[in-house]
Amino acid sequence: MRGRFFALLALACLAVTACGTGGGSQQTTSGPKHGDTLKVAIGIDPDTLDPAGQTTTTASQIVDMMTETLVTIDEKGALKPLLATKWDQSSDGLTYTFTLRQNVKFSDGAPFNAQAVKFSIDRLLSPNTFRAQPGILGGKTGIDHVDVVDDSHVKFTLKTKLAPFVAALTQTQSAIISPASVNVAPNRPDLITQPVGTGPYKFGERLAADHITLNANKDYWGTKANYDTQVYKIVPEPATREALVKSGGADVMVLPPASDIPALQSDSSLKVILGPSDRTIQIIINTQGTVQPLLQKAEVRQALNYAVDKTAIIKSVMFGMAVPLDAPMSKSLFGYCPVGSSYNYDPAKAKSMLQAAGAAGMTVKMVAPTGRYVQDFQVAQAVAGYLRDAGLNVQGPATTDWPTYLSTYVNVPPSQSRIDLSLLGWAPPYLDAQQQFEQFYSARIPPAGLETSYYKNPEIDALIEKANAGTDPAQRQKDYCDAAKTVWKEAPWIFLYNQRFPFVTTAKVTNVVGLPNEKFVTTWASPA
Amino acid sequence: MRRLLVAIPTLLGVATVVFLLMRLLPGDPAVVIAGPEATAADVDRIRHQLGLTLPFWQQYLSFLGRLSHADLGISIRTGAPVIQEIFTRVPFTATLAFISLLLAILIGVTAGVIAATRRNSTMDVSISGGAVFGASMPTYWLGLMLIILFAVHLRVLPAGGSDRGPISLVLPAITLALFSTGLIARQTRSAMLEVLGQDFVRTARAKGAARTAVLIRHALRNALLPIVTVIGLQFGTLLGGAVLTETIFAWPGVGRLLVDSIGSRDYPVVQGVVLLLSVSFIAINLITDLLYAYVDPRIRYG
Repeated sequence: MRGRFFALLALACLAVTACGTGGGSQQTTSGPKHGDTLKVAIGIDPDTLDPAGQTTTTASQIVDMMTETLVTIDEKGALKPLLATKWDQSSDGLTYTFTLRQNVKFSDGAPFNAQAVKFSIDRLLSPNTFRAQPGILGGKTGIDHVDVVDDSHVKFTLKTKLAPFVAALTQTQSAIISPASVNVAPNRPDLITQPVGTGPYKFGERLAADHITLNANKDYWGTKANYDTQVYKIVPEPATREALVKSGGADVMVLPPASDIPALQSDSSLKVILGPSDRTIQIIINTQGTVQPLLQKAEVRQALNYAVDKTAIIKSVMFGMAVPLDAPMSKSLFGYCPVGSSYNYDPAKAKSMLQAAGAAGMTVKMVAPTGRYVQDFQVAQAVAGYLRDAGLNVQGPATTDWPTYLSTYVNVPPSQSRIDLSLLGWAPPYLDAQQQFEQFYSARIPPAGLETSYYKNPEIDALIEKANAGTDPAQRQKDYCDAAKTVWKEAPWIFLYNQRFPFVTTAKVTNVVGLPNEKFVTTWASPA
Repeated sequence: MRRLLVAIPTLLGVATVVFLLMRLLPGDPAVVIAGPEATAADVDRIRHQLGLTLPFWQQYLSFLGRLSHADLGISIRTGAPVIQEIFTRVPFTATLAFISLLLAILIGVTAGVIAATRRNSTMDVSISGGAVFGASMPTYWLGLMLIILFAVHLRVLPAGGSDRGPISLVLPAITLALFSTGLIARQTRSAMLEVLGQDFVRTARAKGAARTAVLIRHALRNALLPIVTVIGLQFGTLLGGAVLTETIFAWPGVGRLLVDSIGSRDYPVVQGVVLLLSVSFIAINLITDLLYAYVDPRIRYG
């Protein structure tokens, strides 16, 4: 009787399981031997491996191992030839001719040539490519057409002068893929799931939300990779990633729990690398404040900058993972210059400035995301504390999930905004001030874009437009620098810091490096 | 058969509610996918590709239309068919939930029976205490503690992932099972206590039946009804509760798919997963009802 009952119960459970699974079985990979496999724990499951649809640096880094761009950046952020060996700009600034590297093959054996470049860029610009994001390479101002000059030369013609054009080509979206590969299942012309490029690694296998395996490309044209295989494991919880690295389940991990950084740094079996990043973190001030109109005054916004102790926040809340801002952009951008006067923490000055502007004790509403940036909400809480010390009545910070948070700005014109202060990060995907100044260019005020502070200054707009189309680098540098000085003085943000991108490797691995565009690169990693 | 037919309007209701709730949530999928730094042209193009420019009612009708021939649409996040997204994950969640339930039943029922037969003994107090502890322990904290102990310090079990075969399942299954084990143990104990005090148990003992036979065949069998109810409800809870466990242990199941999809406002996938969970719930309730009839022959369904 008892036996029958449990047998039946088990059968019932099995039946439920079976109709749920459709008879599917669990896939597993065998444990790798150390030395020839590098295991990397990352936090997000890449939405797509299609180069054209890249939106996150983590996913882009994986795609970069398989596909390459014409131009790339080095560890300092300077442009560096990759699949193109040189490029020339026409005198009118509208056409660029690239000379392509010779004797390069895609990992499917097809030759890399000008036709493949044209194919890949046309595909990026095509409205049929699923979720393609050409950014400034597309749209009304980007590439008009691409011409094959001969096998090893390709010519890009632009619709308008676009100074950061070559810089924008360093983005993974413009990577060159083997034209034939888009018709090989499971790839489709509109969506690539297994990219075939010229890179040092080839696609191996992928199990959604579990892992992506890459195998070394034995026929790579350049220096070959040290690890035969790299496995990217998807581990959403930071504490679990940390446990994996500590227990030998992974060799590299990104983004450890912030509060564990000091302990990890003192562990001799691990190496903590505070990778560079071009991401600035700031408190956006609603400069057209309709709820709190006092924020329309530059003195009040400057006072808020004096009221916050960024150094203390970086030390105690960020655990050292940031560099204070000395300009409205990170140092790695073309167009950066230190703006001179900084907002050193000075609570007395902040109070007297607020008093003088009639803003003593004013009420401000504050919001911040949670988990989007390193310690984002905690930093916002610290900022709110400093503002309260300066006598302000801070409501919040309130927090929401990221999509809800974005809707604070998206399509919200100044007249409808109900928020005074908000925390936001901004990371230009290519290292040019043009992208950073989208945050101060009034033509991008929502709903037209995402200029979140609603800052509007016609002089700045003119400088930005001039610099964006400029052909003389020295003049562009000067224009961005001048614009930055004014922006700094008029303070549409509480300028906080330039975030670092921390990752951890075991002492057995070397040469995992961070790039200034917030990518961490395991491609050239080698056993120590 | 009639009961199966009743499930259809229920599912239609679920589909409608999920559809509406997702669209009432703030957040524009195109912007979330493209990222804040994207150009307005890119966002517009994505919005267009995803059919988000269509009016509300039109999106709803096409959703229902596709649903009628079992097409759940395309994932906004990955571009893959929703069915495919879900079915690569289902085996993982089903395995985890099933093993956890099995653990919970074995340990929970056994502990409950033992506690009931030794009422007020030290054993009973520790089992009852353990059950309360298990049922109230936060999954998140417990999971991390187990990882630190067994993966980092003792190094006997993997910290996460699914790449080490069955031993990958040990920690997540225990973590997930603990809550249900506590609940089942408490339910078993109280149901057993009620039955053990009744006349037929005394009669069985009086006629000289073996102690275990009395316990299992007479007492437990009669106490089963509320226990089966709790177990049936628990299977649903386990499927849903897998969300946290899967996140902590990097287990590639349906729970994480749901979290990722809500986080990127991937409407079609969220709709698909919620529908799947509803179907599972309905199926489990049906099976529980059938089990009632088996456990207690007085219950009949016409």
